[in-house]
Amino acid sequence: MWKFIVRRIIITLPQILLLSLFVFLLAQLMPGDALTGLVDPNLDPAQIALQRERLGLNNPWYVQYYDWITSALQGDLGQSFRYKMDVTDIIAQRLVNTFWLSLLTLIFTYMIAIPLGITSGRFNDTFRDQMIVGYTYVGFATPLFIFALLLLWLLGFNFGWFPTGGSVQPGLTPGTLDYVLSKLHHLILPALSMALITTVSTVQYLRSEIIDTKQKEFILTARAKGASESRVYNRHIFRNSLLPIAALFGFEITGLIGGTVFIERIYSYPGMGLLLLESISQRDYSVVVAVVLLFGIASIIGALLSDIILSLVDPRIRIK
Amino acid sequence: MAFLEINDLHVHFPIKGGILNRTIDSVKAVNGVSFQVEQGKTYGLVGESGSGKTTTGRAIIGLNEITSGQVIFEGNDLAATENKKLDVKRDVQMIFQDPYSSLNPKKRVLDIVAEPLRNYEKLSRSQEVERVADLLEKVGLSPESIFKYPHEFSGGQRQRIGIARAIALKPKLIIADEPVSALDVSVQAQVLNFMREIQKELNLTYLFISHDLGIVKHMSDRIGIMYKGRFVEEGDTEDIFSNPQHIYTKRLVAAIPDINPKNRDAQKKFREEVQLEYQKDYGRYFDEKGLAFNLRNISQTHLAALPEIGVVE
Amino acid sequence: MNELKLDVKKEKKAHRSQSGLNILWREIVRDKLALVSLIFLAVITTTVFVVSGLLDLNEIVRVDLFAIYEPPSENFWLGTDYGGRDIFGQLIIGTRNSLAIGFAVTLMTGIIGVSFGLITGYFGGQTDNMLMRIVDFFQILPFLMVVIVFVAIVPNYGIVEFSLIMTGFLWMGIARIIRSKTLQERELDYAQASQTLGTPRWKIMFGQILPNLSSLIIVTMTLNLAANIGLESGLSFLGFGFPERMPSLGTLLSYATNPQTLENRWWIWMPAAILIFLLMLSVRNVGEALKRATDARQRRG
Repeated sequence: MWKFIVRRIIITLPQILLLSLFVFLLAQLMPGDALTGLVDPNLDPAQIALQRERLGLNNPWYVQYYDWITSALQGDLGQSFRYKMDVTDIIAQRLVNTFWLSLLTLIFTYMIAIPLGITSGRFNDTFRDQMIVGYTYVGFATPLFIFALLLLWLLGFNFGWFPTGGSVQPGLTPGTLDYVLSKLHHLILPALSMALITTVSTVQYLRSEIIDTKQKEFILTARAKGASESRVYNRHIFRNSLLPIAALFGFEITGLIGGTVFIERIYSYPGMGLLLLESISQRDYSVVVAVVLLFGIASIIGALLSDIILSLVDPRIRIK
Repeated sequence: MAFLEINDLHVHFPIKGGILNRTIDSVKAVNGVSFQVEQGKTYGLVGESGSGKTTTGRAIIGLNEITSGQVIFEGNDLAATENKKLDVKRDVQMIFQDPYSSLNPKKRVLDIVAEPLRNYEKLSRSQEVERVADLLEKVGLSPESIFKYPHEFSGGQRQRIGIARAIALKPKLIIADEPVSALDVSVQAQVLNFMREIQKELNLTYLFISHDLGIVKHMSDRIGIMYKGRFVEEGDTEDIFSNPQHIYTKRLVAAIPDINPKNRDAQKKFREEVQLEYQKDYGRYFDEKGLAFNLRNISQTHLAALPEIGVVE
Repeated sequence: MNELKLDVKKEKKAHRSQSGLNILWREIVRDKLALVSLIFLAVITTTVFVVSGLLDLNEIVRVDLFAIYEPPSENFWLGTDYGGRDIFGQLIIGTRNSLAIGFAVTLMTGIIGVSFGLITGYFGGQTDNMLMRIVDFFQILPFLMVVIVFVAIVPNYGIVEFSLIMTGFLWMGIARIIRSKTLQERELDYAQASQTLGTPRWKIMFGQILPNLSSLIIVTMTLNLAANIGLESGLSFLGFGFPERMPSLGTLLSYATNPQTLENRWWIWMPAAILIFLLMLSVRNVGEALKRATDARQRRG
């Protein structure tokens, strides 16, 4: 088992290396360089050339890559020419917002998925189950951004239950209860709209897992021994069905990354996704590069987590 | 020089493992096998599943990579890399065990049987249809079935299609890998007799691979018995059945039912003897790794993997 | 022999391949939901292609400052947008564009993915291992961000570039599926038999194994089509899809990022939202029915 985990982690390192190369390549393809935004374009061209030389922008690509990756490892991701501050600082702010959004989404996802999946699996082919299956069927076909728009239109604008943009009501002091509550209030609708869509695959998975487990020999044995129905479900079926769900957790992270871009755009929620879109339209490429790199690493770690959890849960994976 | 000569054939499959997925060990599916096949004769290769008999057949035709050794067919070494592209492929054909998976379910009989013809002979469309119809007639199927799909046939009929495909290029050697073991017993004899007929007609040489010693006895001129990738005994059919030497062969021979009631007592006695010897002396027939020893000559035609001459009385 | 030749056509008709396209077709006809979905798709597709041929694109995208944000009326069936442009016309053309790119990307990813999967799966071994690691890597990449960045930095961005970028990052899924199926198929006796019959490798791959993957390919590509329509409209919604002057369904939805449009002018974005939803749902319905058809255990009757 540890062998599998070690091997899996060893694979992750070249993946991250490849990612950084890929992102670096993207950065090279982007118009302009680290200097474009920093210096006054009316400056003497000879001066600019001198600056370029000093910053090492004329070095061969691998030297530039080495410089870039070593400073990135030390937390220096360059300067944003638009905000005139370190990229790291901008990202730090936005990352906190995206983190809370993702966390709440995950909580909602499992709060919805587990009861629905269990009900649906336990009472399969009843009316309740058919309702849930209908929901997952529609949920599967609905693009996240359309659903989020609809919810915002309905609950945000028409009913006015939730704020329609931002991450907190302006004018509140950080640290007060009101501030926290306002933050939460701003989070609920974005997180809920994302969770309602992303949860459907988990519901479906849990449902089929429970239906499968129900027919396994060891459940029949438990019944034959006279265990009560609730005991059979609580002690035997759920435990065996919930474990694989845990393995999907890593993929959930990967899914969230794409989702936040849409959600943050629709709800004007100042997180990483919105930062990416803003920076691209403002041609603030040093920020773009940093965001893509971070999201890429998050995806790689998400996949790593899934595989490790899966190997803990399902011994068959380990042999591969 | 023999028609087909196998010299010290080894086929090993690597076992991967460890953190870096290196090759850490290998399964020696065929572990030093040598024999010769004469033209126009049938050579029976017998053994239990996992004995390496199928791998031997597949290695000869090139489906399994040969680790070391020689496969000399009409003077050409098929194992040598420079001969890989040699056109001897058309002279060696194979009949597969499973008549269900060996015919492409998406292809019509015409396309299946014509496949080798299209690779080696440039025929016009009508010539091709004619050839295929001839071949089908030869294997006892109606020529009208050329546009049918494999699923429209029974197992025995499918195996006949497989045979038609194998003889389409008029090959010299056919490797028949358990050609009847997937068929109903009632159909087995039909297919076997038919195989003998076309053997005479086309002067075919068979390498007949089977786990069923009874069928091999019926088909073969010479027999090799394999166990764990090695030969335990080899000889003419007469040698093997009337004078089995190795304990493994003896047990196989003793297990064949005899219909003749007059022989019942003799048969029973033979079985008991073999059983006794098996319990007492089994370990002495194999080396410390449980493998068979090298073959030794018992007579001109008969070889067995015995530890030393003195052991067997 | 002549008799035989005369019969060729009739004989060919009389015998059908067992698990062929006709089983897929039969399953769709049996599944009422899938049949309705298929008819809906066919009607929508022909309508948008025929009507958009009749419409004058320049007429539709021309700015008319006297007719800004008009609600639905006799003149403008679905009202107008911020430039006074007819929403109904944009909806027709948008649907055509969305469908066209959906089909194009699905087809291109299909061709690349199937070829790649067949080749790596058939040859297997060390090369396959290496190539699959690369595919793994590209699958892990956050697709959306990378595509957005590419769209932003590609010079002379246009419709061709957009479909190429989407294709470039979407062919791995089908490649994986085809590869693992090919790994199974190549071990079957019929593929091995072809080898002993002297058939060249590329012929075994594309002539012998490929036909046996046809159902899988059709199912996967149908489900991909639904996903691609969704992805395209999502990217266009974010402003990183179709270029300015070519409306897609996502472009219409992107008007809803203006809060006033979202709150008060439903006619601009709601029809596009409903249409995307219905298109994706019906393509999925067809895809799921096909999937059931290929799995004999789930077949309905």
